[in-house]
Parts: sequence; C-alpha cells; structure tokens
Amino acid sequence: MSSILEEIETKIEGLKTSTTKSNVGVVRETGDGVARIEGLSDVMLNEMIEFPNGVFGLALNLEETEVGAILLGETTKVSEGDEVRTTGKLLQVPVGKALLGRVVNTIGQPLDGKGEIKTDSFYPLEKIAPGVIKRRSVSQPVQTGIMAIDAMIPIGRGQRELIIGDRATGKTTIAIDTIISQARLNKAGEKGEVKDYRPLYCIYVAVGQKNSNVARTLAVLEKEGAMPYTTIISAPASDTATNQYLAPFAGAAMGEWFMDNGMDALIIYDDLSKHAVAYRQVSLVLRRPSGREAYPGDVFYLHSRLLERSARVAEEFGGGSVTALPIIETQAGDVSAYIPTNVISITDGQIYLETDLFYQGIRPAISVGLSVSRVGSAAQIKAIKQVAGKVKLDLAQFRELAAFAQFGSDLDAATKARLDRGQRIVELFKQKQYNPIPVEEQVAVMWAMQNGYLDAVPVERVKEFQIKLQDYLQTRKESLLAAIRDKKQLDENIESQLRAALDEFKTTWR
Amino acid sequence: MKINKEIRRLSREMLRASFTDGQLDPGRIASLVDSLIARKPRNYIGVLKNYRRLLRIEVEKRRARIETASEVARETSSRLVANLKKKYGGDLTTEFVVNPQLLGGMRIRVGSDVWDGSVRDRLERLEQQL
Repeated sequence: MSSILEEIETKIEGLKTSTTKSNVGVVRETGDGVARIEGLSDVMLNEMIEFPNGVFGLALNLEETEVGAILLGETTKVSEGDEVRTTGKLLQVPVGKALLGRVVNTIGQPLDGKGEIKTDSFYPLEKIAPGVIKRRSVSQPVQTGIMAIDAMIPIGRGQRELIIGDRATGKTTIAIDTIISQARLNKAGEKGEVKDYRPLYCIYVAVGQKNSNVARTLAVLEKEGAMPYTTIISAPASDTATNQYLAPFAGAAMGEWFMDNGMDALIIYDDLSKHAVAYRQVSLVLRRPSGREAYPGDVFYLHSRLLERSARVAEEFGGGSVTALPIIETQAGDVSAYIPTNVISITDGQIYLETDLFYQGIRPAISVGLSVSRVGSAAQIKAIKQVAGKVKLDLAQFRELAAFAQFGSDLDAATKARLDRGQRIVELFKQKQYNPIPVEEQVAVMWAMQNGYLDAVPVERVKEFQIKLQDYLQTRKESLLAAIRDKKQLDENIESQLRAALDEFKTTWR
Repeated sequence: MKINKEIRRLSREMLRASFTDGQLDPGRIASLVDSLIARKPRNYIGVLKNYRRLLRIEVEKRRARIETASEVARETSSRLVANLKKKYGGDLTTEFVVNPQLLGGMRIRVGSDVWDGSVRDRLERLEQQL
C-alpha cells in the first residue's frame, strides 16, 4: 500500500512545476465519423488528436484554416465547440507474441474476453516499407497444404499473392486452410520433426465481415488448434468506416514486428474490396475529390503502400519476412473492375477462383489458366518441382482438348491418354476444406500420378485411391515420407522406395 | 455552409488586401466590404461570410486570452502582457477572464497555442497517468 502512495507522491512532484504547452483547435462540424476542426495550427498529417471524454481522432486533411479528422471510438461523444488538442503521437498498436491466440480490434484492444494483452512494444500503423537494400528475393516456401496451389501456383515467404473470385467461391477457405497448415507445421517444427523449420505466424484481418463469419472462422481455427499461432484482427461491418480503413494497417504493423525480429509472418487481408469501400466512405465525408466509381484518387496508393510492406528481409537485417494474402471479391467474375485490376497489378500473382468450377464440384475452384505466381516457383522445394513441373501444362492442354473432344467421338490414342491424364489430375486436385495435405504426401501422390499408377484407376475412384494411398503411406511407410521431407528432393533411392511402396499398395487396392 | 471555389478565392484575396505593413487595417477592411456590397458580384453574401470567418481567425491569432482562477494583481498582469508582446509582437491584444473552474493557476491561449498551468489541467493529467 505504501509503495502506491509513494508512487502517487512522485507523480504529483513531477507535475508540480510543469506548465504544458499544447496546440488546440475547436470542433466546428462533426458527423459521419469525421470532425472538421478550426485551429490546430501545428498538427501533423496522420497525428493523433485528443477530444474531450477520451475520444481520439486522426488528422487526415490539413487545409488552410481547417483540419479534417476521422474519429476513433465513440463518435457520439464529440460535439461542436469541443476543444481538441494535438498529442504529437502517431496512431500505434501493441505488437509482439502476446497477441498470438487473441482476437483484437483495430487498435489492438482484446475482443475475446481473455484479459489484458501484456506487451511493451508498440508499432505505428503507417510505416514506410523496407527499401531495396534491406530486401532479398523470395526463396522459402509457404506450404499452403492445398495441392493445386503448392504444385502449380506456389507461394514464397515475402510474396504477395492475391486470392480473387466471386462471392462464395472459397476464398476465405483457402486462407484458413493455409493458416491450419502453418499451425500443423509449426507444431511439428516445435517437436523437431521438420529439419530447420522456421515457424510462420499468421494474422487474419477481417475487414467489413459479418460478425458471424468471424466467429465461425475463429471456431474453425480453435477446433483445428491453429489459434496459438494466429492473431485475428476484427473490424466487422458494424464497426466504423475509420476502423475498417485502419485494420489492415494494424495487421501489417503486427506482422512487421515478426519480420523485424527475424521471424516469419503471414497476413490475410479479408477483404480489400470492403477496405476500399470503407476508405471511399471516409474520403467522401472528408470531402476529398472523388475519381472513378467515386473512389478517391489515392485508392491505388492505399493498397500499394499496404502491400509493399510485405517483404523478405536480407540475412544481415534478421532474415524475417511478411507474406500477404489479400482477398478481393469480384462481381460476376469481372476481374477488370477498378479495385481488382489495381490489386492484381500490385501483387506478385493471383489465385483466381471460378463459380462454374465450384458448382461442378471442383473445389478449391482454382482456374488454372488465370492463376499465376510470379515469384513463388523460386521457393518451391525440388521434390515438388520434379513431380509437378509439367502439371500446369498438362492441365492446360487437357482443357483445350476437352473442349474439342466434345464434338468428335473417334480420338487417337495420344489424345485419349492426355484426356485421361487430365481428368485424373483434376480429381487429384479436389480437396476437402480444412484438410491441408503435408508436402511429402503431395509429392508421393503426384509421383504416383506421373508414373502411371493412376491410369488403371477409374476416374470416379481416383479420390478414393488417393486417400487410401495417403493412409497407407502414413501408417506403413512413415520413414519414406520422412526421407522426402528431409531431403526435399527425389533421388534414385527414394524413387525406388516409392516404386516398391506403390507396387505393394496396388496389390491391396481393389 | 457550402463554400465553392469562387467564394474561397475571392475571400482569400480580400483577406490578403486587408493588411497594411503586416497588420490588419480596419479602414481598408471597411472599404473592401463596402465596395463588395456596392458591386454585388455572384455569391457575395457567401464571400462576406467566409471573409468574416477568415478575419475572425486572423484576429484570434493576435489575441491572447488569459484565464485565471481569481483576479490577478495589476503588476502581474502588466508584466505578463509585456512578456507576451515580446514573444508574439506588439500588436497582440489581451483579454483577461476569471474562470473559477481552473481551481488555481493560469491558462493562456494565443491563436492555437495554449500554455496551461492550471490546477485543473494538472489534476486531469494526474488522472490520466494513474
């Protein structure tokens, strides 16, 4: 008790002589989550300003006689004539490992009722991305556990890969699968099962989502045991446009902490279309001039500066990375709309999901023709390259032939073989949600396909064959899987073991 | 009030013309206003309103509002005014206000700058720190 009294005493001592100088202004107009303030002659751009009743704002528009600010928190407590003062601080969020396993709002306050977040470090929301000197090229993989992605559209640590598609095509599912896959790998890494594994921590930023969706995502991640490695930042649809606009930047700040401390992070921005809409609202009520589709002129810069913060840092600067998986929702498959084209041009590739494929039962509904990864192939492990090198080409040829084959009934043997192979690849790449496949099993399955072990299996039973094969390998050939995992490439020894294993499996398969 | 570009431009020009030797000139302001009213250009009421607002901000920049919890001695106040004029220039006008809500001490506001040495401010800061 006495120590508290002493503490108060010293604080009072410190206050005794001080006269504070501050810069103030007066609220002239407020509404729609913004305030126009007269005065504040010394305010900086993006500075936090303090309103009475503990409300804070962010100065976004510095005009000749007025300042336009967006309000954070309880906007109804601000009224005309209130005195506002500058704080000299930029908006910052708590960062660090204490945030893992938590659900927080835009400014890092807990929403999960698990108590206070104890951390000493804070990062500003807006930060300049690492420059050319600090960066190095992408060379380590992010194993999403989704076979179609890992084989054809590989993602590397430090890459920005867009997930784009119409509503309800499984965009968020791909992101969640990736998080679950990381959690499993992290756990295996902690147990020492994976050689030189660098854990990948995940940050899921939900912008403008329904609260029920966020709750469902949280429940899935908890059930799959992924939450200990994950932070969820939630700015749901009921939150203010200000909070929705700032949430991705808060996520980027939390990710940067991992990068600066030599660790790897993965951020999912779900989704940037709603983020752009929130920013449009903020800009319009601040009376900034509007451009195409009423988006402000700097909506491109909004996303480019956000995504530019994903990077892989050179070894001498810690060697950490931030990988970004932004999500964009298109309307009726229109990838040439304003925001989708912007984000496509910023990112290092995209995974395009198609409604048609989704309803044909090809899930994940990845369109092979429109999806690319511009840098990820450098990060693929050699074993995957060996077995999946030609898959994308095979699939593309299959699609073309399939369209022609509909007209003619007589097909030559080569065409027939190609069609059969294509149908089997399509079947192999179908995958249940929340069920990531470890990379060594992917290699084994694709090796079996490349070496003709699936040719005798009827198309409708390919999936069954694959699942049984995976079961068989997990239970009977664990050492073979471990060898693929550790060596990361297929040599003659492993290939002969694979051949023996598959021959044995085939005798049991009927 | 909605202010268009024309209003903003005209009122800003009028403000620029209201100074002689860096100080607001009441004579010039009166003649500017009279000539505007006589000519009656488009949106002239809007221009006048915005001009009035700009003038008010300009006047506030040169006015010190000194709030104290109780009446200040004449000697103290004259010393205070002299110090303020040294800092902000000779054309500074001062206004003394007694505000018992400060509880003690003094609060001076010049334009957007505020020096707060009042007991109320210290208590508020203490509350925030605790």
